[in-house]
Amino acid sequence: MAKRKIGVRREVITDSDVAISVKNLHKSFRLPTEKSFGLKQTIFNLIRGVKGYKDYKVLKGLDFEIKKGEFVGVVGRNGSGKSTLLKILAGVYYPEKGEVTINGNLIPFIELGVGFNMDLTGRENVYLNGALLGFSNEEMDKMYDDIWKFAELEQFQDQKLKNYSSGMQVRLAFSIAIRARGDILLLDEVLAVGDAAFQQKCNDYFASLHGNQTVILVTHSMDNVKRFCDRAILIDDGKIKIAGEPEKVAEAYGKLWE
Amino acid sequence: MSIPNFLYKKNRILLKELTKTDFKLRYQGSVLGYLWALLRPLMMFAILYFVFSVMLGFGGKPGDDGYIPYYPVYLLTGITLWSFFTECTNQGIQAIVQRGDLLRKISFPKYIVVVSSTLTAVINLLINLVVVVVFALISGVTPNLGWLMIIPLVLELYCLALGISFLFGSINVKYRDIASIWDVLIQALFYAVPIIYPITMVANSSLLAARILLLNPIAQVIQDVRFFLITNETMTTWGYWTNPVIRFLPVLIVIIVLILGSIYFRRKSKFFAEEV
Repeated sequence: MAKRKIGVRREVITDSDVAISVKNLHKSFRLPTEKSFGLKQTIFNLIRGVKGYKDYKVLKGLDFEIKKGEFVGVVGRNGSGKSTLLKILAGVYYPEKGEVTINGNLIPFIELGVGFNMDLTGRENVYLNGALLGFSNEEMDKMYDDIWKFAELEQFQDQKLKNYSSGMQVRLAFSIAIRARGDILLLDEVLAVGDAAFQQKCNDYFASLHGNQTVILVTHSMDNVKRFCDRAILIDDGKIKIAGEPEKVAEAYGKLWE
Repeated sequence: MSIPNFLYKKNRILLKELTKTDFKLRYQGSVLGYLWALLRPLMMFAILYFVFSVMLGFGGKPGDDGYIPYYPVYLLTGITLWSFFTECTNQGIQAIVQRGDLLRKISFPKYIVVVSSTLTAVINLLINLVVVVVFALISGVTPNLGWLMIIPLVLELYCLALGISFLFGSINVKYRDIASIWDVLIQALFYAVPIIYPITMVANSSLLAARILLLNPIAQVIQDVRFFLITNETMTTWGYWTNPVIRFLPVLIVIIVLILGSIYFRRKSKFFAEEV
């Protein structure tokens, strides 16, 4: 099997005002061409000289910089490579080619409530989720009461998660997310949670982040882009189509389907 | 690239939380809960003891040729160590696949997942070793300093299990057949290790076969623990081999497996998030 190339992803902490720098970022995935799972099929493929996979290019050379304190929206249609980009920034995937530099402590929310387990209590889940996000028990102790207060679920702390409604689960997960203090926040489509009242609280929270926190938000809502973002990036077919003013980017996004 | 490091506080906390979760979830919803960690090997022991000691007469009577003093403790020790090894490898090999949801969403050193899943087996072993020691005392074995040798021996067995978990666990991400193959392999291994039968029984019909069986690190550890814990009449690898290089062969195998497994795991782990 051919050895796969790997680009560079660095985490540094410096005084530079650049929070994230991405240079010539490429990424492709190996998609199985036929049922190439399992030992039997692999041996067949070897005998027949079939590779068993096809390289599928997702990101085709991205270049951008995000300054400290900027609120940046990343938009694009489904399958354009937004989430792949976010996962590379978060360190989940390796870049195939190019350079990614993260300056500061990064907290990723690719999904809310990562590692949530239905058979654990709310309390246990909060600590587990916190550990996965990189917080110590002492840090979690400090945030703990605030998390439950924001979620408005204090009386359910010691109930198992399976006894929560799905709305309650999302609220708890979201409350942990917004307590998390890091230099850079990565958010993937996590704005639309809860009922109208909770939604309002979340919007207020996002508005409060503006200017104080570096945030990268992947979203499909142009309203949110215009409301919260200083800048936006439109990704189409693995390349940056346009980057800059949220209004202009939102307009270009609307024209994608014309 | 961050270098996986145990001293890194973030990783230690994550390891602790994942292990705690694994252990808690293991006995979720059962009435007896954690007691099962104790009951399972004890029941296993009762069955094997009934079949092999009571019915088939393994262990013999005092004065007999193949007599093993304290045969019940001898048997329990073997079963305890063996179940530790199987539990450790089974959990370790499946760890990456089972925790795939985490790997796809959060970046952290992947070895944490494997180690945390094997630590549950370690906790179980510690509980069971207490039972073994209590059994030994009841049976009339006198405590001595040699018992301390159990610590490095158990560590050796854990290193082997970890090495196998790293190696086969990484392959299992892509080829799920590995878990099934290991299931069968471990069944075969059970009979190749002197757990229920005394090694002297093999030696009586073929000395060479007994000597080869004892080159298996699992057999070496089990016999050594019996030697130090129960009776120094136990035949060990050292007892059967005089060549100094061959005496250390089982330990060497463990070191090689662990190093190979770690290197392979490290190289493959970069793509677990995409492949799992």
